[in-house]
Amino acid sequence: MSDRQDAGTPPRHEMDPIERMVNRVLVVGVGLAVALMAVGIVLSLLDGTGLPAHVVALGDLASRLGSFDPAAYLSLGLMVLIATPFVRVAGSIVAFARQHDRRYVLITAVVLAVMCLSVALGRA
Amino acid sequence: MTALVGILLVAFVAGVFGSMLGVGGGVIMVPVLSLAFGVPIKTAIATSIVCVIATSSMAQTTFARRGMTNMRLGMFLEVATTAGAIAGGITAVLVDGRYLQVAFACVLFYVAWQMGRRRGDIEAVPGPVMPATYYDPAESREVVYGVHGLGVGFGLSFVAGNVSGLLGVGGGAFKVPIMNLLMGVPLKATIATSNLMIGVTAATSAAIFYGRGYMDPHWAVPAALGILTGARFGPRLAIHLPTRVLLIAFEVVLPVFAVLMILKALAVIA
Repeated sequence: MSDRQDAGTPPRHEMDPIERMVNRVLVVGVGLAVALMAVGIVLSLLDGTGLPAHVVALGDLASRLGSFDPAAYLSLGLMVLIATPFVRVAGSIVAFARQHDRRYVLITAVVLAVMCLSVALGRA
Repeated sequence: MTALVGILLVAFVAGVFGSMLGVGGGVIMVPVLSLAFGVPIKTAIATSIVCVIATSSMAQTTFARRGMTNMRLGMFLEVATTAGAIAGGITAVLVDGRYLQVAFACVLFYVAWQMGRRRGDIEAVPGPVMPATYYDPAESREVVYGVHGLGVGFGLSFVAGNVSGLLGVGGGAFKVPIMNLLMGVPLKATIATSNLMIGVTAATSAAIFYGRGYMDPHWAVPAALGILTGARFGPRLAIHLPTRVLLIAFEVVLPVFAVLMILKALAVIA
C-alpha cells in the first residue's frame, strides 16, 4: 500500500500495452456496431416498416448492404458486436507477442482456438 | 413501439447492474423477454447472449482504462471456461440437468450468504503470481494483490464453463465468487476481470445462434443499445461505490439468479 491517502485527485492509470490493445479493440468494435445499428434504425424508419425480425445471412450481406436494406445494416451491427471479443482475444495475442511473453501468447492462442472450434462444432 | 421502449429501459437497468457486478446483463433478460414480452425462448436466449457481449465490451473500456482488470488472470481462466463450455455435453449426459440447476442454485444461495455477511472485502495479500495494483477511489488508496489458488480456480472455472450453457446463467455469477472468495482477488478487480471473461463464452454462443437464425434484430438491437448505455454507468458505480455496498448488491442479486435457476429446473420458466 502506498501512502496516497491525502491525494485529492486519484492518480491516472497508465495503461500497459495489453490494456491499451484490449481497450482499443473494444472501443472501435462497440463504436462501429452502434454506428451500423443507428444507420439500420434510420433506414427502417425511412421505410416505415419497423425493425426487421430476421438477420441477413453472411452470403447475402454485401448485396443487401448495397441496396440499403435496413436488416443488412442491423445484422452487420450485431455481427460486429459478436466479433469484437474474438478480435479482442486475437489482438491480445499480438500484444503479448510484442512483449515476448511466450506463455501468454500460447494461453491466449488456446482460448482463440477453442472459441473457433466451438463455433465450428456448433456448441458452446 | 411501447415494447421497444420497454426493452430499452429493461436493458438499460440490466446493463447497469450486470456491468456493476461483472455478472453480465443477460440473465435477467431471458425471463423478462419471454414472460413479459412473449418472445420465443430461443430468440430470448440469443438476445440475452448479445446483451452479455455488449455488457462485457462496453464495461471493459472503463475498467481497462482504470487498470482494474487482471488481464493475465482473465486470459488464464478463459482457457478453463471455454474448454469447459466445449465439453459441456459431458456433464449433461452424466447428471440430469434439473438436479444440477438445483444444486448450483444452492451454491449461489450459499455464496450470497458468504458475501453478504462480510463487513468488507477480502484481505488483499500481495504475491508473486499475476501481481496487480489498482487505485480504489472509494478508499483513496492503492490495492496491491497477488493471485492465489490457481489450480482450484482453474478447475472450478472449468466446471463453471461446463455447466454455464446448461444453467443459462453465463457463468458470471460463479466466476465472481471463485476469484473473490477462493483466489484472493479483491472484489473490484474480480468484477472487472469477470466482466472481461463473460464476453468470450457469450461471443462463441452468439456466433452459433446467429448461424442458426435465432438472432432477431427487432429484439436484439434495442436490447443491445439499452445495455450499452447502461454499461457506461455500471463500471463507474463499481469503481466508486464502497465495497460493502457491492457486497450487499451481490447478496440481493445472486439469490434472484438462484431462484431463476430453480424456476427453470421446475420448468416454470423456460
